[in-house]
Amino acid sequence: MRTMLSTVMAAAAVIGLVASVPQARAADPIKIVALYNLSSGGLASIDGPSLNGAKLKMKEINDAGGLLGGRMIEITAIDTKNDLKEAATGAKRGVSMSGVVAGIGHSDTTFALASAPLFQAQGIPFVTSGATAPDLPGMIGDEMFMACFGDDVQAHAMAEYAYNTLGVHTVVVWTDNAMDYTKGLSKYFQDRFTQLGGKVLLNDIYMTEDKDFSALVSRLKANPDAQAVFASSGPDTAGIIIKQIREAGINLPILGGDGYDTDLISTVPGPDLSNDVYFTTHAYVGLDTGPANTFRTGYQTAYGVPPENAFAALGYDAMGLVADAIKRAGSTDYAAVTKALAETNGYEAVTGNIAFKNGSHVPSKPVAVMYVDHGKVSLKTTVTPES
Amino acid sequence: MARRPNLLAFLAAASLGAVLVFGATATLDDYVLSIIQFVGINVILAVSLNITNGFTGLFSLGHPAFMTIGGYVTAIMSLDPKRKPFLLPDLPEWLAASHLSFLPALVTGGMVATLVAVVVGFPVLRLRGHYLAVATLGLIFIVQGLAINLDGYTRGALGLNGLPELTSLWWVYGWMLLTLYVCWKLKHSSLGRTMLAIRENELAAACLGVRITRTRILSFALGAFFAGVAGGLWAHLVTLITPSSFSFLFAFQLVVMVVLGGTGSITGAALAGALLTIATEALHPVEEAMGLFGASQVLLAVAVLLVLVFRPKGLFGMAEPDLLAWVGKSPGREPTPAGSKRQREV
Repeated sequence: MRTMLSTVMAAAAVIGLVASVPQARAADPIKIVALYNLSSGGLASIDGPSLNGAKLKMKEINDAGGLLGGRMIEITAIDTKNDLKEAATGAKRGVSMSGVVAGIGHSDTTFALASAPLFQAQGIPFVTSGATAPDLPGMIGDEMFMACFGDDVQAHAMAEYAYNTLGVHTVVVWTDNAMDYTKGLSKYFQDRFTQLGGKVLLNDIYMTEDKDFSALVSRLKANPDAQAVFASSGPDTAGIIIKQIREAGINLPILGGDGYDTDLISTVPGPDLSNDVYFTTHAYVGLDTGPANTFRTGYQTAYGVPPENAFAALGYDAMGLVADAIKRAGSTDYAAVTKALAETNGYEAVTGNIAFKNGSHVPSKPVAVMYVDHGKVSLKTTVTPES
Repeated sequence: MARRPNLLAFLAAASLGAVLVFGATATLDDYVLSIIQFVGINVILAVSLNITNGFTGLFSLGHPAFMTIGGYVTAIMSLDPKRKPFLLPDLPEWLAASHLSFLPALVTGGMVATLVAVVVGFPVLRLRGHYLAVATLGLIFIVQGLAINLDGYTRGALGLNGLPELTSLWWVYGWMLLTLYVCWKLKHSSLGRTMLAIRENELAAACLGVRITRTRILSFALGAFFAGVAGGLWAHLVTLITPSSFSFLFAFQLVVMVVLGGTGSITGAALAGALLTIATEALHPVEEAMGLFGASQVLLAVAVLLVLVFRPKGLFGMAEPDLLAWVGKSPGREPTPAGSKRQREV
């Protein structure tokens, strides 16, 4: 018994010793956690550029002398591997790192819903670069901010563009039923489209991991009156959908949201089949503002390629928003940074000015309508929502 | 009489564990703590799978299905009624209004999993041979399909996310102890002996008056209960659950833990469960650095092959090595009856 007791005592003593060692808190760098799907899945094609954009902004700020009197920003990137469990445990790892001031990341609503609540629970602000569900801040809480517009804005823009400019009055809608983003986008599109007087002939659903769309294609063929197909898809299936619709000899315009803003829409179907596709995305291509031009040249010099898509710009903006808030807060205190973020008004971002008005954490920003012809993406128009 | 020091040693080990848990929660960060909790959950799973696969000699792959059931039920029962209409607008009235605290929610999750196990087990376990493996494999896909399509209860393929972080190291530790204790008691009880008898020779056991089907269903259902609870713990540790959270690949990982540890050995299953979880987690950075994603799975498979070739009984065979004796320092214990201390002759 005595030996057992001493074992227990010794163990307790060791633990006590470990506990009394003061937590080393590096006072110098300002740590930002960036959660992105980097190694697998279609989302990697938009998350990778986002992280590059965020890192570019970090470099620019650090080169200019850092924040709060010379403190450098340090981004810790965590790969969430296209797996929701990894997103949640990654967020846990992020919030438990010492000296973390804020989190940024994610280009998909489902992933943001998995990781952002853990930041919320610790009272750490989280700015998503590209998760677009407008009810995200409402679902997660006051620490959640969006650097991008909401899906309602881009879906309404597409509905109006299709009805008024393209003259499309009847559509077939395809929806990925395994993503929050695609479900929301379809709903907002149909709301506006029917409000304008358009008609939805058929609502079809599929799942993100689907590879064979022949059943949906034949149901689309069974609706000869359809003037376009609105395929609400994430980056995983966007290219496959275009390929299989075109291979079936259907030449209807294909409409989509910012999930199409990936090179997969031209590489998967090949340039010959990637035709007559319209999608909405975050504006920066057509913007000739100071920050947009700085970003374009900076990205080209840093990575040797022009920005792959608008998500690179969003990553840049998310990092910029956080840095701007830290600067205005004058400290790295969570509450102060959150307050400063919420007070953001007229921040000059690459993707349009950002202001969080009337307690909303979703900025109102311009929407770019893009057109794909033989794999080449070009800007059709930029729509600026009222208010 | 030989049992008394055994219990004492168990209590001593349990309290030492409690001291360690206390120390860990006080010093370690959330991420390391969550890895320790995954270890604990996998120990619960491996040890409870051992009841069917080890004691009774049935080959079940059903744990992921029971975890999915337990996870969803626990999540729905323990979710804040204020958040429910937001997340699950189509939930029936009585479910939307109900709100259980974590423990009753976990037990409910476990009970529902048990119920499903009884329903599935009743027809399947009356048959001879490896029908259970096929049936439980099917069960995984049925449960997954239901979780995807029962939109009103499960939010479809999106799963439930933003669940409260209810699971703590204490919860996992408590359930792990309970699982170990129940399995230990079971193995050394007459019920456990009848299970072992069925495994060794079904006909002989039946001749001795063992009610084969009843005992098999009992062992299958008991394993399912702990799997359901583990599913609830997992969901509230990761803070989300989706239909694809527990795939049938996970079933194989659990089977590997049982086989590596020694089919029928509680200590073996627990140790293999803990070691494999830590190894997979520790190999993550290696995978990332070398760009060899999936390397840990390959290593796991090679380890299984090596064990099967060189030590078909697994680490400990049927035996329970005297780990507790090292802690309790109680030398010269009488060997416990057949099957636990003595190596079974093959």
